[in-house]
Amino acid sequence: MLMSEIESLVRFCRDLREHGLSVTPAEVVTAAAALQIIDTKDRDEVFLSLRNILTTSVDDFPIFESLFATFWSGLPKKTSDNVQIRRTSPVRATGGLAFFIENWPTSIRASAEPVNLPGASDADSRAEKDFRAFTNHELEEISRIARRIVRRLAQRRSRRWRPVTHGHRVNLRRSLRMSLKTGGELIDLAYKERRPKRTKLVVICDVSGSMDIYSRLLLQFVYGLQNSFAKVESFVFATSLSRITGELKNKTYKRALDRLAANVRGWSGGTRIGASLMTFNAQWLRRIDKQTVVIILSDGWDTGEPQQLAHALAQLKQRAGRLIWLNPLLGSSAYQPVTRGMQAAMPFINVFAPAHDLASLRALEPHLVL
Amino acid sequence: MREEVRQIQRLLEEQIYIADAAIATALYLSMALGKPLLIEGPAGVGKTEIAKSLAKALDTKLIRLQCYEGLDATTALYEWNYPKQLLHLKLEETSPASEAEKEAAIFSEAFLLKRPLLQAITEHERAPVLLIDEIDRSDEEFEAFLLEVLSDFQVTIPEIGTVTATHKPHVVLTSNRSRDLSDALRRRCLYHWIDYPSLEKELEIVRAKVPLIADALSRRVAQVMQATRAMSLSKIPGVAETLDWANALVALNANELNDEIMAETIGCFLKDETDIATFKAELPRINAD
Repeated sequence: MLMSEIESLVRFCRDLREHGLSVTPAEVVTAAAALQIIDTKDRDEVFLSLRNILTTSVDDFPIFESLFATFWSGLPKKTSDNVQIRRTSPVRATGGLAFFIENWPTSIRASAEPVNLPGASDADSRAEKDFRAFTNHELEEISRIARRIVRRLAQRRSRRWRPVTHGHRVNLRRSLRMSLKTGGELIDLAYKERRPKRTKLVVICDVSGSMDIYSRLLLQFVYGLQNSFAKVESFVFATSLSRITGELKNKTYKRALDRLAANVRGWSGGTRIGASLMTFNAQWLRRIDKQTVVIILSDGWDTGEPQQLAHALAQLKQRAGRLIWLNPLLGSSAYQPVTRGMQAAMPFINVFAPAHDLASLRALEPHLVL
Repeated sequence: MREEVRQIQRLLEEQIYIADAAIATALYLSMALGKPLLIEGPAGVGKTEIAKSLAKALDTKLIRLQCYEGLDATTALYEWNYPKQLLHLKLEETSPASEAEKEAAIFSEAFLLKRPLLQAITEHERAPVLLIDEIDRSDEEFEAFLLEVLSDFQVTIPEIGTVTATHKPHVVLTSNRSRDLSDALRRRCLYHWIDYPSLEKELEIVRAKVPLIADALSRRVAQVMQATRAMSLSKIPGVAETLDWANALVALNANELNDEIMAETIGCFLKDETDIATFKAELPRINAD
C-alpha cells in the first residue's frame, strides 16, 4: 500500500472521530488491511468495505457518507498494478501498520486544523445551565434513595441459576462431582436457585423552562439510578427528545453534568411532551417490555396537542410493565391535574405521584417493584 | 469490483438469495479478514437468511445459536450428560478402578453434550457457518462471554482442557436492535445494515422465491407492501411476510388483488387489529395509485 493512501485513511478516520464516531486504532489497522484485499479503483467497493469496518451502527451512516466523499477525492488515483504490494497476510501486515499508525499523528498534525473532540466542545453559552447549586447533603440523600430503589428492583428472579447451599432445585453437576467421593452414590446433594432478576427502568425527564427548579434535582436522581443499575435508559426532553444514558454513565456527577451541558440542547425551552414521547416511541418502543418500568418526570404543561400525548401514552402503556408519572406540582395540596396535557394523560397512568422533595422520592420505592 | 465479491454474489444467487453488492462485500471482508459479521436491520428483512444461504453456498454446516434472555454457558457451550454419567458410575460400581480413574472416565468427551458454540469450534471437516441469531435478546453477561469465545475461538473445559478451533468458523450475528450491544462487541465485528428492500428488489425476491406467481400479481404485491410500510403501523411487515402472502395468493389461485382475496389473505402480512384497520382505511388510496 502506498504511504499516501495510508495518510488519507488515517486522516479520514480522524475526521470521523471528530464528528463523533468512535474509530479505534485497531479499526484503522483493519481498514488498512482491507484496502489491500479489495479493488481500490471501485468507489462503491471501497465505500462499502470501509463502512463495514469503521461504523458500528446504522446511526453512523450519514456522517460516514458525507465524509467519505472528501476521503475519496483525496485518494491518490492509480492503476490496479501498483496496488500489487508485498503479498502479506492481513495478520502480518497488522503489526507493522499498527506501529506506523500509532506514531502517525505527530507527522500529520503539523498541517492539521485544530482538533475538536466531542465532549470538549464549547456549548452554546445561552443554553448552558449551572447544575452545581445543590448542597452536598441533598445530593447524597438523593443518590441514597436511588440506590435503595435499585436494591428493591434487584430482588426479582431471572432464568439464570446460581449454586446455593440450601435450595429446592438439585444442582446435578455439583452433586455428581460430590458423589464420586462416595463411589458414585448420591448422598449429599448440591442445590441451585434462580438468580435475582433486574427489572429494566426507563426514565424520561422533562427539562423545559416550567420544570427548571425541579429538573436539576431530578437529574441527580436519574444519575443515581443510572449508575447503580445496569438496565436503566434515561432521556430528557423539552421540545425534542435526547437520550442521555451515555452522558450519565460517568464516575462523578459533575463530569456527567459537563457532558450533558455540552451535548444536550434546548434546556429550559418550551415543552412538547406529546411530540417528544412520539419520538421516543418511534425509536425506543421496541425495547420496552413487561419487565420495564417507565417513569415520566414532568409537570404536564404541554404546548402540543393533547390527542398526540394520549396516543403516545396509550402505545407506551401497552408495552410497558408499569407507567409512572411523577409530577412535582402534585406536592402542592391545591394542585389539580387540570392542564389539557395532564387530563389527556391520566387514563394511561398506573401511578401518579408527586416528586417535589426527598420524601416523595422515598415514597416511590414500592411502586417500582413489578 | 473484485472477482471474489462477484463470485460470492453469484454463489448466493444460486441459493436463491438476492444479494446486492453491499452484502457480498461484507461477506467477502468477513471471510478474508476473519472477523465476525454483525447484521442489523428491522425484523423480517432476511438477516438470518444470509447465514443460511452462505452455509449452503459454501457447502458447509450451519450451526445456529438462538439467543434469548437467560441464555448461559451450559446452553450455549457445553453441558455434561448427567444421566449417562450416573448410569456409568452405577455400572462400574464393582470395578476395581480408583476414584480418580472413574472421575477421568465420566468427565471425558464421550459424556460431553456439545452445544452450538462448542460444536462450531470442534467442527473437523471444514469451517462451519456459526449463526448467532438475535444477539440483542441475550443479556449483557452472555455478550461478554461470547466476546471471549469470538476473540480466540478456544474454550477451556476444566475437566478436559483447552479446545481450539481447527477451522475458524464464519460467524454471522444478527440483531433487531431491541437493545444496545456493547461497544466492545460492535468493534470486534464488521457491521452491516439491511433495510427493507426497494420495490425492484422486492419484486426480484418474490419472483425468485415464488416462481409460480403471475408477473402482474407479483408487481402488485410488491407495490402494496411498499405502500404498507409507509403507513404508521405498530408492526411493519418484512420480506418474510411478503413471501407468505405471495405463497398464499398462489395457493388460492388468485390472479388479481380484489377485495375478497385481500380480506382472506390480509392476515399473512398484518398481525395486529389496529394495523389492519389502518390498512383498510388507506386501501382505497393505494388502489387509486
